[in-house]
Amino acid sequence: MIRYFQKALGAHFRAGRSLYVLTVFGVALGVASVLSIQIINRNALAAFEGSVTAVSGEADLSVLGLTPTISETLYPEVLATEGVAAAWPLLRVEVMLNRGELVQSLERRVFLNIVGVDFYAPLNLPWAGERNEEPVSSGPDRIGHSWLWEEGWCAVSPAMADQAGWSEGDTFDVSLGSRTTKLKVGALIDFQALSPLASPKLVAMDISQAQALFGEPGQIHQIDIVLEEEVDEAAVQAELQSRLGKSVRVVTPAQRGEQAEGLLSAFRLNLTALSLISLFVGLFLVYSSTQASLIRRREEFGLLRSIGCTPRQVFAIIVGEVALLGALGVALGIPMGYWVAEANVEKVSATLSNLYLLEEISSLELPWWLYAMGIVIGIGGATAGAILPALDISRRDTRSLLAAFTLHEKIGSLAPKLFGCGAAILTITLVWYLSFGHTWKHAGFAMGVGLLLGLPLMTPLTVQATCSRIRVRRFSLGYSLRGLGVRLQTTAFAVASLAIAVSMLIGITLMIGSFRTTLEVWIGTSVQADIYVAPTSWRGKGSEGTMDAETIEVLTRHASVVAVDRLRGFIGYSSMRSNEDEWVNHRIGLAGVEMGLSNGDVRFPLLQGDRDEAYRRSTEEGAIFVGETLARKLDVWVGDDLTIHTPGGPRPFPVAAVYYDYSTEGGAAAMDLRTMVEAFGPGGINSVALYLQVGQDPERVVDDLKASLPDAPLQIRSNRRLREQVFRIFDQTFAVTQLLKGMSLVIAVCGIALMLIVLAREQVSELALYRSIGATRQQLFRIYVGKGLGMGALGLLLGLFGGILLAALLIFVINRAYFGWTIQPSVAWGAIAQQCATILGAATLASLYPALRASRTPATELSRENL
Amino acid sequence: MPVCILLLLVALPLGGETEWRTAREDYAWSFPEDHWARDGYKTEWWYFTGHLEAETGERFGYQFTIFRVGLVGDRPEIASSWTAKDLVMGHVALSLLPDPTGRTAATTGEGKNGGRHRFSEVVYRASALLGGFGTYPDSLIAWCRPPAGTEGDWRLTWNGTGFDFEMKDDGRGFEFALTTRPIKPMVFQGPDGFSRKSHGTTSASQYYSFTRMATEGTLKVDGRTFPVTGNSWMDKEFGSNQLGEQQVGWDWFSLQLDDGREVMLYLLRDKNEQIDYASGTLVDASGETRYLTRDEFDLSASGTWTSPDGITYPSGWRLLLPTADIVCDIEPELADQENRSSIVPTMRYWEGAVRVTDTAGQGLGQGYVELTGYGDSSRPAL
Repeated sequence: MIRYFQKALGAHFRAGRSLYVLTVFGVALGVASVLSIQIINRNALAAFEGSVTAVSGEADLSVLGLTPTISETLYPEVLATEGVAAAWPLLRVEVMLNRGELVQSLERRVFLNIVGVDFYAPLNLPWAGERNEEPVSSGPDRIGHSWLWEEGWCAVSPAMADQAGWSEGDTFDVSLGSRTTKLKVGALIDFQALSPLASPKLVAMDISQAQALFGEPGQIHQIDIVLEEEVDEAAVQAELQSRLGKSVRVVTPAQRGEQAEGLLSAFRLNLTALSLISLFVGLFLVYSSTQASLIRRREEFGLLRSIGCTPRQVFAIIVGEVALLGALGVALGIPMGYWVAEANVEKVSATLSNLYLLEEISSLELPWWLYAMGIVIGIGGATAGAILPALDISRRDTRSLLAAFTLHEKIGSLAPKLFGCGAAILTITLVWYLSFGHTWKHAGFAMGVGLLLGLPLMTPLTVQATCSRIRVRRFSLGYSLRGLGVRLQTTAFAVASLAIAVSMLIGITLMIGSFRTTLEVWIGTSVQADIYVAPTSWRGKGSEGTMDAETIEVLTRHASVVAVDRLRGFIGYSSMRSNEDEWVNHRIGLAGVEMGLSNGDVRFPLLQGDRDEAYRRSTEEGAIFVGETLARKLDVWVGDDLTIHTPGGPRPFPVAAVYYDYSTEGGAAAMDLRTMVEAFGPGGINSVALYLQVGQDPERVVDDLKASLPDAPLQIRSNRRLREQVFRIFDQTFAVTQLLKGMSLVIAVCGIALMLIVLAREQVSELALYRSIGATRQQLFRIYVGKGLGMGALGLLLGLFGGILLAALLIFVINRAYFGWTIQPSVAWGAIAQQCATILGAATLASLYPALRASRTPATELSRENL
Repeated sequence: MPVCILLLLVALPLGGETEWRTAREDYAWSFPEDHWARDGYKTEWWYFTGHLEAETGERFGYQFTIFRVGLVGDRPEIASSWTAKDLVMGHVALSLLPDPTGRTAATTGEGKNGGRHRFSEVVYRASALLGGFGTYPDSLIAWCRPPAGTEGDWRLTWNGTGFDFEMKDDGRGFEFALTTRPIKPMVFQGPDGFSRKSHGTTSASQYYSFTRMATEGTLKVDGRTFPVTGNSWMDKEFGSNQLGEQQVGWDWFSLQLDDGREVMLYLLRDKNEQIDYASGTLVDASGETRYLTRDEFDLSASGTWTSPDGITYPSGWRLLLPTADIVCDIEPELADQENRSSIVPTMRYWEGAVRVTDTAGQGLGQGYVELTGYGDSSRPAL
């Protein structure tokens, strides 16, 4: 049997090239789709973990602040705690690399992660030699403590030195806030030797210099701890937590990883779900192609059965062949997936740093388990897609196999029942959601699965009912469409897979369109100032990127400026009591603004709360405004208190209002600047918004201000430019989503091509008959193009229905549950129309080759048996 | 001229463009001020060793050393509390000496906290949070944080006539707080305190000692507290270029004889294990000093001891010093008194309590011996 399998394999593959190529391509696209997303997901976390390992790899515990910085006086406290074997302080600041003579080859904005370390602490830093030199075992021997006294001394990674063309002794400028600082490459430290995925943009400095140049006196960011062997880690962790107080958290490396994982979970889950839809569509393709291949080979199986082959052996042959095709698909899909991930990593990386304020992905790794996953998905998926047709054919008796037949021929009569089942699934899912499911966070995905199952089941009847209504007057389009309803067992699958892909396409288009419109409205109301000024290095993350008073003075002194809005922002932590009665910290963006600014009340479009009362409370009572995402995540609303960690400990702030917020996914809160100073101590201003006299041209004032501050590392943007940038970031955020829906569509269109090839094969006798009674090749060609177009139109019809449901699901259920954003639904008619045209066009294109093949069917293919 | 950390210090390159002061024959001593840190020199240390006895008969040998390692000449003008011009390092060892009468059993079991010889060390940048050096006339001479996992500070202060010092290491299960009072006057090691270390003119240090100081205080081992009394030896040494290029280590002896005399000997070895330079000081009972030349004494090892890491040290010596009518044997109180650094894992040196006997085994005194530069990896880089 095995020998037969081997010998027959080549012949079959040669005979059905187009079928097999499409099958392999379908599997490959499905694998690539899932794999690329998993590579991106994995590396999004790995980038964070890699940098944690490089900086804190030896640490058993880390002390991190719940406020932007922590007092360095905690360090001796840590050292004095029993069970601690070693500890060292760290200062972490993100600065922007200015473009200079040396730095020309890099992308536009490069952020360096400055790590201030105590070089005399027991750290095992992998000092590296100059490029192309052997690593040196001991840095200080060569360096001579320059890190202490040579201003701007720093150690960069060899990868970064290579990228920027730096050698030891070279200098470069970085900016933080409105300051520019010159750093000097004093040595190389190969962080990637500690962790291959560590960011090459890590830059080590002595903590004294880092604190003086970029930090605040007396403040650090982190303390890493190595424990004595054989101590109870949890006990030391608890002791440290109690000793250091509530303004810090003492975490294990695993807990830090979990935090990043938690931050990214919604992002990762949504991408995974979308990639699985692509895979699901791919499985339709495998199913259909297997079915087509089996019909063509029915006589072969009949003969095999008649010479003694068991049904199990026939089943094994079929599944074996498909598994092999799956393997070929995997072989193609894995590199394709990696390529897709690589091509999109920059966009995802930008999303990670823009939306989640996490490390950028600087390199991709493909761990073995992702290969394994690709193999399982590809071969397993293909096999799963083939099981039904394989079972059907292997269970038939010899006589039946040797007679003409089609698989699933009963599908026509089953169509109403299937439709009923599909409708029932959709109804039950909806009823379940409305009654119980809405309280479950993942309900949206359960409903999505319901839609994916229900829609294909509703397809056969929809196709049948639609096509049977078509009156056939001539041997033309009407005839070809009617034929779709007759050949339901073939066409229904292609239409169903297209419907799923279109649902995804339309659903996501509607969601993104709605989101964009909502954002436009939000920005229209909240971004009111004429000019916005922020340091180029500031991304809302740390508190250090501040503008000095002189710079702000220059900005506000301009004759056209009538009002100034100052913003101080940093990452903080709120604290909530969980259901298990434990305090859980949430990372949030905190903004301090001048709440009393005249006409400033439009900055926060309110979802909940009385405008006048809210602003009064914010200035008089120290109440805060909470962003919608945070309000939904923590279930904190007007009238509640939100506890936020301050340097003085956790402090409850009354919530005066909840505002629409689309700025971060983690959630944000805003308070009056004076409240912030009182709670967090004095701090610099991170950005400034300027209001101009009526009639002034913002672009001209921007030019004036830039001329006044020629070397200041500031982004001075007019309202219009800022909006443009917001939408650029928005589009970047959804770039991968767009890619996925594109891949799904390609798979579905392949399905149409495949089905038409199958039809051309199945109908070979019928086509020969048409030819023998006078049909021209052109007529047959048109019939087949018409079939493709018809399947496209039917898929589009069902897909529009599914897409609207999916959009509703994304907008009202999934987005709210995972991201906490309120999206006002709106229809981007232009985009939808364009996509409909694309789908129909693609379906037509996909039918050209099968149509050509069908039209070439000679009349001699007509056999007695067929008659 | 104690302690192998000198090896470590010479491995550290000069910081920046600092021009360090070097030892001079005409150094103008000023006491008590010179007990405090002398800025401008690259290395400096305060070194105490001694023999202590508890009321209950337990005997202990101890070493307490604080080092100042100059990194840069002046504190960089950087607005940060982490900026530093020195490192502060501490090396402390405690040997639980065997009781020759067999009456007591102060020692505990083996293991990290157990064992008869325990070594504790710290290295910190001299900064407000971690350690530093006081200035005359404040009593504080030096302080630093203890090793991680332990509360409190290590401190060295001037008590008006002698020195007080305290240390604690919970991880290694011992601590002590001792106060000292000189019984004999301070002596210079080398003419006017200029201690030459090689035949050249540049390798030298400023060096003085209190060779016999009454000591009392408390000592705690594995939770047991011992009021102790005994005798200590104190060295203070500073300079910038103590070792010759070819030198790899030394043997150093401080002996307190029962007849009231003290002997200090040092022998610097080159790469071929030959004595490159040697010298010494004899202090008579009245405190008068006589400097010894290489040809005045003979010191030959009578045995060896091999460390767990395979480093073989001489162990046991016969000293012949005919001009002082001294013929004696020097025997380690414990074979294993090797200080094994965990901060600089390759750094190993033997520093231990010894007893001095005549050739018939009758006690003549006690002392401390330091052996450095043995084995291949004893010149560690920080």
